[in-house]
Amino acid sequence: MDASLLTQMLIGALLGLSVYLPLRCGQLSLATPGFYAIGGTLAALLSTRVNALGGTEATYPIHAVLLEMVLAALLCGLLATGIGALVLRLRGVYLAIATIALVEILRVTTLNQEALGGAVGIFGIPQPFNEPGGYALFTLVLLAACCWLCDRLERNRLGRAMAAIRDDALAAACQGIDTDRTKLVAFVLSAVVAGLVGVISAHFLNSWNARLGNFDASITTLAFVVFGGSRTWAGPVLGGLMLTALPELLRPIGDLRLIVFGLVILVGPLLLPQGLINPALINWIQTRLGGRWLLPSDQGGPP
Amino acid sequence: MSASPLLETRNLGVRFGGLQALEAVDLQIQRGEIFGLLGPNGAGKTTLFNLISGITPASSGTVLWRGASISGLDANRIARLGLARTFQNLRLFNSLSCRDNVLVGLHRQARLPWSDALLGTPLARRRQRALEARAQELLELLEIGHLASQNAAGLSYGDRRRLEMARALANSPELLLLDEPAAGMNPGEKDALRALIRRLRDQFDLTILIIEHHVPLMLGLCDRLAVLNFGRRIALGTPEQVRQNPAVIEAYLGVSS
Repeated sequence: MDASLLTQMLIGALLGLSVYLPLRCGQLSLATPGFYAIGGTLAALLSTRVNALGGTEATYPIHAVLLEMVLAALLCGLLATGIGALVLRLRGVYLAIATIALVEILRVTTLNQEALGGAVGIFGIPQPFNEPGGYALFTLVLLAACCWLCDRLERNRLGRAMAAIRDDALAAACQGIDTDRTKLVAFVLSAVVAGLVGVISAHFLNSWNARLGNFDASITTLAFVVFGGSRTWAGPVLGGLMLTALPELLRPIGDLRLIVFGLVILVGPLLLPQGLINPALINWIQTRLGGRWLLPSDQGGPP
Repeated sequence: MSASPLLETRNLGVRFGGLQALEAVDLQIQRGEIFGLLGPNGAGKTTLFNLISGITPASSGTVLWRGASISGLDANRIARLGLARTFQNLRLFNSLSCRDNVLVGLHRQARLPWSDALLGTPLARRRQRALEARAQELLELLEIGHLASQNAAGLSYGDRRRLEMARALANSPELLLLDEPAAGMNPGEKDALRALIRRLRDQFDLTILIIEHHVPLMLGLCDRLAVLNFGRRIALGTPEQVRQNPAVIEAYLGVSS
């Protein structure tokens, strides 16, 4: 497997995590590509227009990438706090529609603002790594950090509160859980992850345009979670890795690959409605390994 | 002159469209009391619970907690003041184990500095062990300790009721609102429940407000009772007073000709 594909897969896994976080408290948010686009556009603009960051056609210092990531995290986090306070009052499919609208607003705004790249996009984004392997390693570190964070989250008070809200928001409120605030925290974390991935993506892809954060991306990233499962962080990670790799690995069979890919997305949820990493599997692993693997205490679902 | 009541409703009412579900209900619950709410179906008992716990906003009147108004507060704020409740139609966290259901109930006590929670420091691990031990204690108190790792969704009806009570107790409330805790129980279980509720009151220093249809259970358990009918309070007093109240007899049995 080449490092380029591996990087794409890792990016897919990270975007899956971003969709998973709000879903853990029952919030179907499709805003991930919007914040991904914000991170990407920010990185593209800073690295090509701000000379002080030390970018040239070929090289780019790694600390400048880290600076972009901090700025993207702050920007996405602040924006998500404001937007979340408004849209998280909506439930279920209405929240999904509102977040699709957000993604579209961002896309159309970028498309029509020459300063943000317009319809052409931004080219010649400087490269911090000479080899694709550098990107793969960098993204892998970020993914590992995010997985670790999610794992900690699921095992502590906040993660339990999120699961409780997913199961029954009203009963959760009656346990003294501030449901609005908890949902907002999940939404902001989701936005921050998406923004960070956007920064890496912009450098990795070498060019950036508004089409990278569109409605299609909302659905694709949602598919990662549906396919992989939304009970624990391992689900969206696996879903993101597999569904990003599949179209590339199927390339030898030509156009037939689109049909096969479609079938996999269709049949996967039909055979495993709760995803690859589903409660039954989690229970099975737990009884086999006898430990607290994958999930804190024994929170499988009904098999 | 008695001390100010723990919970008081003044002129409390709610209207759903054209239906006056509750009208001008005045109640004073004293600390340490087991106070019963009786009434036929649709009398407004659960609606009263929903108003007190902040789930439904009142159309008129106020709810006072230790003499201060809590009307208009969110359900989670009211829960944090020390009011816990169970639900008539059982609202457990079905994808979680019994232990985790109770751990969610311990939410308020589980607060940790975020850095400890994130890094899983020795302090965090110690606290987690203490919380789990507390959860186990509560489950055992309700006689479902052996089900701790079981999923809440898979429990029998009676065990689900017990789990809801364990979760409510985990909130370490001062006032416990029990909505039909005996529903679906057989006479033997009802007797055991009566003993359990008394024991919980003494052990946790609780005040208990209880809704129940089973009149003999209520008359034997409660210190005082209020009877609701069509959203109005038609009687209030000791079990003996309520039993002999003509309005109550009429509401339950109809008027003799």
